[in-house]
Amino acid sequence: MSKQINVALIGNPNTGKTSVFNALTGLNQKVGNYPGITVEKKEGICKLPRGVKAHILDLPGTYSLNTTSLDESVVVELLLNKNDKDFPDIAIVVSDVENLKRNLLLFTQIQDLKVPTMLVINMADRMIKKGITLDTQALEAKLNTKIALVSTRKGSGIDRIKELIADYKNLPITSNIDTVQIAPDYFERLKKVFPKEDIYKLWLVITQDVNFMPIVKKTINDDTDFALKTKSELKKMQHRETVLRYKFINDSLKETLTIDTNAAKGLRASLDKILTHKVFGYLIFFCILLLIFQAIYDWSSYPMDFIDEFFASASEWVKNTLPPGALTNLLAEGILAGIGGIVIFIPQIAFLFFFIAILEESGYMSRVVFLMDRLMRPFGLSGKSVVPLISGTACAIPAVMATRNIDNWKERLITILVVPFTTCSARLPVYLIIIALVIPEGSFLGLSYQALTLMSLYLLGFGVAIISAMILNKILKIRSGSFFVMEMPNYKLPLPKNVIYTVWEKTKSFVLGAGKIILAISIVLWFLGSNGISDDYKNAETIVENRIKSEGLPEINQLTIQTQLEDYKKELQFGITRGLYKINPQALNDSIEIHKEYLYKKAIEQEISSFELEHSYIGYMGKAIEPIVKPLGYDWKIGIAVITSFAAREVFVGTLATIYSVGSDQEETIKNRMAAEINQDNNKPLFNLASGISLLLFYAFAMQCMSTLAIVKRETNTWKWPMAQLVFMSIFAYIVALIAYQTLK
Amino acid sequence: MQFAQSILVYFILALAVAYLLKKFVLPKRLFTAKKNTSKSCGDGDCGCH
Repeated sequence: MSKQINVALIGNPNTGKTSVFNALTGLNQKVGNYPGITVEKKEGICKLPRGVKAHILDLPGTYSLNTTSLDESVVVELLLNKNDKDFPDIAIVVSDVENLKRNLLLFTQIQDLKVPTMLVINMADRMIKKGITLDTQALEAKLNTKIALVSTRKGSGIDRIKELIADYKNLPITSNIDTVQIAPDYFERLKKVFPKEDIYKLWLVITQDVNFMPIVKKTINDDTDFALKTKSELKKMQHRETVLRYKFINDSLKETLTIDTNAAKGLRASLDKILTHKVFGYLIFFCILLLIFQAIYDWSSYPMDFIDEFFASASEWVKNTLPPGALTNLLAEGILAGIGGIVIFIPQIAFLFFFIAILEESGYMSRVVFLMDRLMRPFGLSGKSVVPLISGTACAIPAVMATRNIDNWKERLITILVVPFTTCSARLPVYLIIIALVIPEGSFLGLSYQALTLMSLYLLGFGVAIISAMILNKILKIRSGSFFVMEMPNYKLPLPKNVIYTVWEKTKSFVLGAGKIILAISIVLWFLGSNGISDDYKNAETIVENRIKSEGLPEINQLTIQTQLEDYKKELQFGITRGLYKINPQALNDSIEIHKEYLYKKAIEQEISSFELEHSYIGYMGKAIEPIVKPLGYDWKIGIAVITSFAAREVFVGTLATIYSVGSDQEETIKNRMAAEINQDNNKPLFNLASGISLLLFYAFAMQCMSTLAIVKRETNTWKWPMAQLVFMSIFAYIVALIAYQTLK
Repeated sequence: MQFAQSILVYFILALAVAYLLKKFVLPKRLFTAKKNTSKSCGDGDCGCH
């Protein structure tokens, strides 16, 4: 059996490590044109020449081995622990051709750990444009390594990497700098006390605040012959190390790398000047947001209507085609209705991620982070918190994980606590359906009211997140103080492949991730709504028929029947006057009478279904929680949807779609079903401006996501913070929704 | 036919309930293989200790 080679992909942030990883393994891990996408190691297998296999590890980006944050320490932990099963046989340092000098700092550090190291210089396709010439052979000699010049965008140079990996045993193991030079007395003493240990490895153990087996910091601490330096003394020594390394790097690059600075300047500088401008920068960002939300509404309405009608017809078809029975009802009223409630949002989700992918790929997102850094500072957060807050627009879970690149614990904790306020894609279905129901269709300066409302909700989420951050910054008594340095990536034309892949992956995870939960909940809800134990449920038909006999149909139903009958008469008259059909007055009256009877029968059936639903298991559960949600303008059905959507917010629409379709024989779209719901207390539409705004605000602020709570627990290692988040956000959402409804009703 | 449909519905319902229990109620460790969870994680105040 051939040996598998362990390969670690290491490098500065945003040098394209994950792109190299994808090219080598054939996998499709998320890539983007901004730093900090990879926060955990990822693994894949690469087939090499001569039947050899390589186990490739893609590690989070780090500027050096002097790490400051959790994601960066993953790299140091691996390189210092030879017992780790993933300890690399070869380290590949991926660097960006435009920032080679800075990238080589990390390269020389890794090489000094005596790990076979090769250099991959990525983005080679930009060399001509940027006036860069590189003598790779000479540089290989200077650095004692092998170099692969690649362009992951063009797919060139990947075979060379594979050859070099297969040939890793021939890579020289050398030292670039003499570690003792950093502080001769100190290192000489260190050598004497630990004669068997590698001196540079020991140095890293001393400077990093982590324990690495088998060299444990405690061993060094416990040794009475050797005293550790203070933190500031160690920092000074690290600076001396960096100076020594840059001296070596400058010497190596002096004759091997030339950059024509005139060619390097140009469009990027001009664009940056405008896009990060104090005034125009924000204005442009605001306009881009407007454009995105307008497009989401305009472009997706047609496919959404199509999907909605498709599911309504499919449900009808199932009922008419399959033999009557519980399974047929479950399919038509439970499964299809529930799934339809989520599939309908695919076009909008896809458009949202399409725009986000373009912004990320082009390099504009990093400029947004820079802009936001200015806004965040007065609120006690740095730009490092902006990356998680912006990625929170997709989902709070990766956003909470993205906080690992924040080195300051207080800042990280605050970011974790406020991230769930940003509008994630799971809120989108709730927003879209409620906005469509309660916000009129007019427009202002060419922008629809509905798009403007959606954008306001995004801004509201972000605004509340930073205000909460400011409050938490004042409340939390944790030592703080940090800086934010961010590298601006180059502007690039988004690669269609990457954009399409992002849209596909995000949409798929939205549908499949929530889809399974929605499917299961729809089945359970349908069962609870279609069954009951009480006598009222069992004798629903008799009870309702007797009530109608004595009291007649409720007033609202009679009014509806009258309106529908008038419409039918008009339709008949229209046909007669246009000569579409000939009918004598007697037949006309008979036809109207038959239609009237049909409408009455339908109304009675509807009353029975409604009575059954109210006395089903779910009806009793809903009625039990109704007193809590009634002050917010919701009925018991919405109450059930609010409870079930605690699993995931998007379950809300699926739940309502299922509840409203239980017992219904009509082919109706979700939107129409919701629009037809009547508030029993005032006989007005249940979804009106007051209850709609109340629901929008409730979902904007409530912590309706169990997965986010679980990830917050994992990242903070305690239930204290997720529970605090849950209690605060739920109470806050309730109060805001209550005020909104009571003011607007 | 109706009886068969009812049986199938109860079976599907049991599957749905089991899935929801697995996803939200039962501890994850019951369904995952034991992994090395040792983590060294940076500064003393990083919150992971």
